Amino acid sequence: MMNVLDGPIDTFIYMVLGYGVILGCMAIFAASLALRFRNLRREFEVYKTMEMEEDEGS
Amino acid sequence: MKPIPKALKALNWLTGGLFLVALYLVLFFAPREAVMGDVQRVFYFHVAAGWVGALAFLVAAVAGILLLIRREHRWDGVALASVEIGVVFTFINIVSGSIWARPIWNTWWTWDPRLVTATIMELIYLAYLMLRQGVEDPDRRARFAAVYSILGFLTVPLTFLSIRIFRTIHPVVVGSGDPTATGAFDMSPRMRVAFFFSLLTFTFVYVTLLWHRLRLYRLSEKLDTLKMKLLS
Repeated sequence: MMNVLDGPIDTFIYMVLGYGVILGCMAIFAASLALRFRNLRREFEVYKTMEMEEDEGS
Repeated sequence: MKPIPKALKALNWLTGGLFLVALYLVLFFAPREAVMGDVQRVFYFHVAAGWVGALAFLVAAVAGILLLIRREHRWDGVALASVEIGVVFTFINIVSGSIWARPIWNTWWTWDPRLVTATIMELIYLAYLMLRQGVEDPDRRARFAAVYSILGFLTVPLTFLSIRIFRTIHPVVVGSGDPTATGAFDMSPRMRVAFFFSLLTFTFVYVTLLWHRLRLYRLSEKLDTLKMKLLS
């Protein structure tokens, strides 16, 4: 049983674990956004070049 | 492709700054809770993540209503972006709560109404993301997703109210709750500062991520249009 008179229980490791998960998940999501954007932009540039080549050819 | 707008760059910096201040407040400024110790500090970002989840699903529902009324495709992009962010932050909320529960409730998981309703909400929105993939026609997909996001939103007030209307061991820190609930505590003035600043910071995080996700959506739309043009 927890009791105020005993003082706080040692839960430091759980705090570290909690913030590790919170910050880790946020970082992974931000990185996934950046990565997806970069890949899409590359693909977009490839198709844009194809479009320009097609316009020049016609 | 357009470069990142100046306003978004400024928002990135502002959100980053707010986030660092929030981290300082929750880790150093707020006092250690008298009974639970350091793990109580998880509470600040745990609740803030839950707030972002609820806000994101609300925005998705509103975007769904706007799509059905105005028939403008861009609202589908807003709903998709918002749901994606909501799913990530609800996941953070559930997992951080589980980590807090281990030393306080002596278990990682219990079938408490709040935990169950939050998990159902998460699963319903995960299904939203998966089911979208099954509809190929963009107009049908947008209409289907709009109706789904409106109906799915019912789980948000249910999750919020679950600890207020059902018997539960989950503490109600904001508003009146059962003071004997395991893990319940009264917030000191410093704790309130850290708590409300975290809520504000996470709201900025949400807006920033939503803007970035919408840019991704628009680029994807442009790419699809370009592909169709080249194929025809």
